[in-house]
Amino acid sequence: MIDFLAKKVLTIDLNKKEADLKSFADLNKYLGGVALGIKLHEMYSDLNPVVLAIGPLNGFFPFASKTAVVLNDGGVIEDIYIGGSLSLRMRFAGVDAIAIFGRSDQPTVLDICNAKVDFLGEETSTDSLGLPGKRSAINFENNKILLDDYFTTPESFLEKIFTEKNIKGVVITGTEIDKPLNFDEYEKLYNEILSKKDELRVDMGIYPSCSNCPMGCGKSKIGEIGGNVLINSLVACQFADKIYTDIGVVFSCLNTLGYSYTHEDIENLPKLIEETIRRIS
Amino acid sequence: MAKILKPTQTDKCNGCELCLLESQRQLKKVGLEEALIRIFKKKRDDNQKLEMQIEIDPRINMLHVEKISKICPKDVFEVENHEEIEGKNEE
Repeated sequence: MIDFLAKKVLTIDLNKKEADLKSFADLNKYLGGVALGIKLHEMYSDLNPVVLAIGPLNGFFPFASKTAVVLNDGGVIEDIYIGGSLSLRMRFAGVDAIAIFGRSDQPTVLDICNAKVDFLGEETSTDSLGLPGKRSAINFENNKILLDDYFTTPESFLEKIFTEKNIKGVVITGTEIDKPLNFDEYEKLYNEILSKKDELRVDMGIYPSCSNCPMGCGKSKIGEIGGNVLINSLVACQFADKIYTDIGVVFSCLNTLGYSYTHEDIENLPKLIEETIRRIS
Repeated sequence: MAKILKPTQTDKCNGCELCLLESQRQLKKVGLEEALIRIFKKKRDDNQKLEMQIEIDPRINMLHVEKISKICPKDVFEVENHEEIEGKNEE
């Protein structure tokens, strides 16, 4: 279930082979995605985390279909975005972010089901892990990371840090169910947003689509880098910016789900990120 | 008249899972657990696309299947009514 008052972070320590689901009420103002990821980098700077983070609308609304990956590449914090089904699986695993610390002494495959994490050897095929239809799998293929056997990220930041950490694969399964309190209002809003697909800056394509996005566009495969702070904190598709930079739409979505963010929270987000980056630097 | 949801053009499926999520919303829930539609994605050799498999629980036909069919952007589904099916069987 969504925790409206706190961010849930699954921490995975590769050195100790331990995992823990933590709840941070004070991180709520970071909304999600890049903002949450950068804050977690500040909190765990000594542990060189790679953070996967979603936003409050992922799993619930159309076109909120990306996952932010925030990592430190040689002293520079980079944020990249991957599509596919990952954000939906993370939402229903009940986590806002996954922060992976340290380095495994052996090549490791992480099998995550909700907040439970198993550390497996590299001989384990990710095909054999997780629950079919409810899982996302991240694998290496020809030195490139593929999510769901198709989706990638820009540049090679993720490949580099997974190699450093000795991670060979990650499978994430989400089995939780949510029931927005005002379900009729939620459903109405969902359909309204879905009907805005003509406002996207991509055309309908014939390619695999991200979950909760009908477009199947040619852009989804390669992921995203940079862009609008609000979009990247909601972790919506950048090509849906016309929809998710409309503050009225964003607040309707947040309120319908039960969040109590204020306009000030959203307005302060760029400053919050900027200050956090400055402290890390 | 009973309506039956059938995936007739699975090769067109893009894996967006809108059908699955619509069926869950009709049951007043959001998530993947106990979904009456499941989409399985399999890698194709060319790496340019994925091969989708759609598994449907027959209980789906208790829901508003036309709405589920309509939400699919690729027209993967057809809705047949029970009489049509009986007619075909008799032929």
